[in-house]
Amino acid sequence: MIVAELKEIDEIRKMVDRYSSILVVGCDSCVAECAVGGARETQLLASALKLSYLKDRDEKVITEACLDRQCVDDFIDGIAEQVPEHDVILSLGCGAGVQALARVYTDKPIIPALNTLFIGETVMRGVWTENCLGCGQCKLGYFGAVCPVARCSKKLMNGPCGGSRGGRCEIDPETPCGWDLIIKRLEAIGELDRLSEYVPPVNWSTSHSGGPRRVIREDQKP
Amino acid sequence: MHRQNNKIVVFHCRNLRLFQDGERKEFSMAWPGLSLVSIPCSGKIEAHFLLKTLASGAQGVLVLACAEQACQYLEGSMRSRKRVEYARHWLEKLGIAPDRIEFVRLWPVSQQALEAHLEEFVLKLESLGALGTPEKV
Ligand code: SF4
Ligand code: SF4
Repeated sequence: MIVAELKEIDEIRKMVDRYSSILVVGCDSCVAECAVGGARETQLLASALKLSYLKDRDEKVITEACLDRQCVDDFIDGIAEQVPEHDVILSLGCGAGVQALARVYTDKPIIPALNTLFIGETVMRGVWTENCLGCGQCKLGYFGAVCPVARCSKKLMNGPCGGSRGGRCEIDPETPCGWDLIIKRLEAIGELDRLSEYVPPVNWSTSHSGGPRRVIREDQKP
Repeated sequence: MHRQNNKIVVFHCRNLRLFQDGERKEFSMAWPGLSLVSIPCSGKIEAHFLLKTLASGAQGVLVLACAEQACQYLEGSMRSRKRVEYARHWLEKLGIAPDRIEFVRLWPVSQQALEAHLEEFVLKLESLGALGTPEKV
């Protein structure tokens, strides 16, 4: 899923102060799972903004809504009636959600309330970690399903650097060494032999370095 | 006694068994502006309820929870404490007195103890002034 964090309220206010009616729109998918943009957090932010403006005696209309997915048109239509009544949409979707809203509601300013961070997993309640960079050529099969692109600080593809200590990365001791994880995992599943195969350097042209990407599936088109 | 018309919302865990039949109404009538909201466990409380309650016109919110070891659902009382802390942190960020939201473990668990706490809370809210006016922190 996409992991994000809420922007500071001052930054959000700086962007929306100029409008008199704000539609705060959450997304009940990835950003709900990372407890930052779902229905609860939408109510939290809308209430926080109301209080913030109340304190400044600035009367604004603040309405909240939450979509099941902010990046799919069928769901985006869910706020079609509310949008014309507001000056701006403050989105709690990831960057993709914000831009999808802008594509659909062409005459409306859309402001992001989140900083979109990474593709990751929920390790435990309240802890999310990055584990995929979307490189476009997944090689997890070689590495016991532990990604060296996302989880080795140096993105090494053929074994650890010399700095790994006690299972920790030399770049940051708070971070587990990706290669330590890879080796332990391959050992556990009895597939250490996978590492004898040379893995060529990552071809970054299939990643975001190759420019904006898209997937087209004729079989899925209407 | 300070029982002015201060809009205060009290969320209380049902398992505290503060009120017998009819007592809740009687208690509320003695406190103009007070809303008593019974919840199945204080752990049901979330930060957005608390901020929303203030944004909807309440001047202060109390969350009454059971003692941590007494929580029927084991973690509820501990969770509600953390959530109240989070909501208070939000108020701080917004430049609003965090004391408008309080987490309370009544001892003894009685209406008298709640009354005593409310007396103090009302005084505190009065010293802060109404939400939306400059706070005299
Ligand atoms: S190899 Fe590429 S696609 Fe696979 S998990 Fe790593 S970054 Fe993601
Ligand atoms: S210590 Fe491990 S994770 Fe860190 S850069 Fe070296 S091999 Fe990669």
